[in-house]
Amino acid sequence: MIPTDLRYHQEHEWVRVSGAQATVGISYFAQDALGDIVFIDMPKPGAVVKVGQQIGEVESTKTTSTIYTPVSGTIAKINADLKDHPEVVNSDPYGKGWMVVIDLSSASDVDKLMTAAQYVAFLAGQKH
Amino acid sequence: MTSQKQIAILGAGPGGYVAAIRAAQLGARVTVIESHALGGVCLNWGCIPSKALLSVVELGDKVKKAADRGLLVQGPVMYDLARMVARKNTVVATLVKGIATLFKAWNIEHVQGTGSLRDRQTVTVAAADGTPRDIQADAIVIATGSSWPNLPQFPIDGQQLLTSQHLLDLDCIPASLLIVGAGVEGCEFAALYSGLGTQVTIVELMAHVLPLEDDDISSTMERELKKRGVTVVTGTTVERLERSPMAITAHLKDGTQVATEKLLVSVGRGLNSRGIGLEQVGVQTGRRGEILVNERMETTVPGIYAIGDVVGTVMLAHVASAQGKVAVENIMGHQATVRYDIIPAGIFTLPEIGRVGVTEQQARERVQAAGQNPDQALTVGRFRYAGLGKAQATGDTTGLFKVIAESPSGRILGVHIVGAHAADLVHEAAMAMQVGATVGQMAEMIHAHPTLSEGMMEAAEDVEGKAIHQARKKMS
Repeated sequence: MIPTDLRYHQEHEWVRVSGAQATVGISYFAQDALGDIVFIDMPKPGAVVKVGQQIGEVESTKTTSTIYTPVSGTIAKINADLKDHPEVVNSDPYGKGWMVVIDLSSASDVDKLMTAAQYVAFLAGQKH
Repeated sequence: MTSQKQIAILGAGPGGYVAAIRAAQLGARVTVIESHALGGVCLNWGCIPSKALLSVVELGDKVKKAADRGLLVQGPVMYDLARMVARKNTVVATLVKGIATLFKAWNIEHVQGTGSLRDRQTVTVAAADGTPRDIQADAIVIATGSSWPNLPQFPIDGQQLLTSQHLLDLDCIPASLLIVGAGVEGCEFAALYSGLGTQVTIVELMAHVLPLEDDDISSTMERELKKRGVTVVTGTTVERLERSPMAITAHLKDGTQVATEKLLVSVGRGLNSRGIGLEQVGVQTGRRGEILVNERMETTVPGIYAIGDVVGTVMLAHVASAQGKVAVENIMGHQATVRYDIIPAGIFTLPEIGRVGVTEQQARERVQAAGQNPDQALTVGRFRYAGLGKAQATGDTTGLFKVIAESPSGRILGVHIVGAHAADLVHEAAMAMQVGATVGQMAEMIHAHPTLSEGMMEAAEDVEGKAIHQARKKMS
């Protein structure tokens, strides 16, 4: 359920690093907590973002939740398919439901994020 | 023998016509001078027509989602704008006729033409054919309203550069529309035309759409506009226009360009205080041309009153009506003033907005100005539509209730709602504020289940962190 090749942020975003770029999405846990996702407000490509900054919002039939960036850099690409099919985040949060690609300004940001094992422990801790 | 008081009213908008009826109820003999249609801008080119058109898009939005709910409709949703406009005209005509009927019932004379003050007790009316007529009155009420401003950088031509008035009467749906100004009107037309399938771009100089609304409301509306496919551009404005017969290219201050078929100018309104003889009788106006009035709605000239948009206080139809009633009650020997601290207002975007009282930002500024810490002196409660059984059942899960209260007194300072039926729902809060009820009393009152009104109760409960259908835990 929790891919081991990704890193995780305490706000439930995941990061997949490829070279100097990071792909960001929200975790299975996050989409499950949100319920049916109806809209995702994304940042503009070219925007410069800093760790922990709000970069968008996810609206579901239950609530609206903020997307925080787990890494600093420049928004290189957004997943335009989510505009018409936000439900893909529910069905495939770690795959087709990716949200943005960020050109990393500092590779060390990623090292500060949780590993899959740490994230599992973090989720277990949150259940209380 | 007492003679009947004669009152002349300039303008038959929501200020003037309401003042006329109330004056007649109180025993006056009333003459109303109006050059256009009874009902003014509100009824003929504003509130009512835009709602008539928006209601169709609201229905279309629902039909588009019908299949998900198990209602199968053959074929795609298509709009026939010419038919929508024709139906809108029928709605307007019915209401205009309604006013004429009321006038007849109260024996109010409607004089067609443009009136101007000749002296303190005489209004001269120029009829359409130019023949002047003098109307004598013991008191005069000026209710001439406001109009679309003509700004040099946006020369309105009714073809490419339009006012909201033009957009209510188009017979075919434009491919693209650029809206300058994301205030109430701009956002309402963005909702309407994006619903019809027009590619809409809205440009706002301030940092957010609906800059005068509470932050939670304007950020929700910005998201809703984006959800509808509207391109929202904030923090900039149109620098210049390049025009060709087929299109307009707007060059924005931020360096970008927007090509569009039509452009809606939606920035401010001009006050109709010129050419009505104010100087002739010495009625004073302010810097913006607003007629200066006291709390009884009387101008600087005794016996001459002014109400509505032309006094420039709060430019809303229902405020004009309230001011109209107050003006004529004073004329007829009663004592009346308008209470401006509680004015509910609706914004008819999709979804709607309802508001009363101050925004959270305003409340914080006031508290700070009084030397208090806003984090201690204010409490805020919120509740989302998604937490309401009724909203889930009807599919209206977008939106929120927000209550701003004084701490520890619990006095309600402001209530803001965005979501289905928000403009109707806000009146419970307005009444609570009017009678001085506390947020605790609002929370205590039993609210019927399942209704959207439960959201008001839950938001009031949330002020003390006691909302039932809301998890405390912050999610993702």
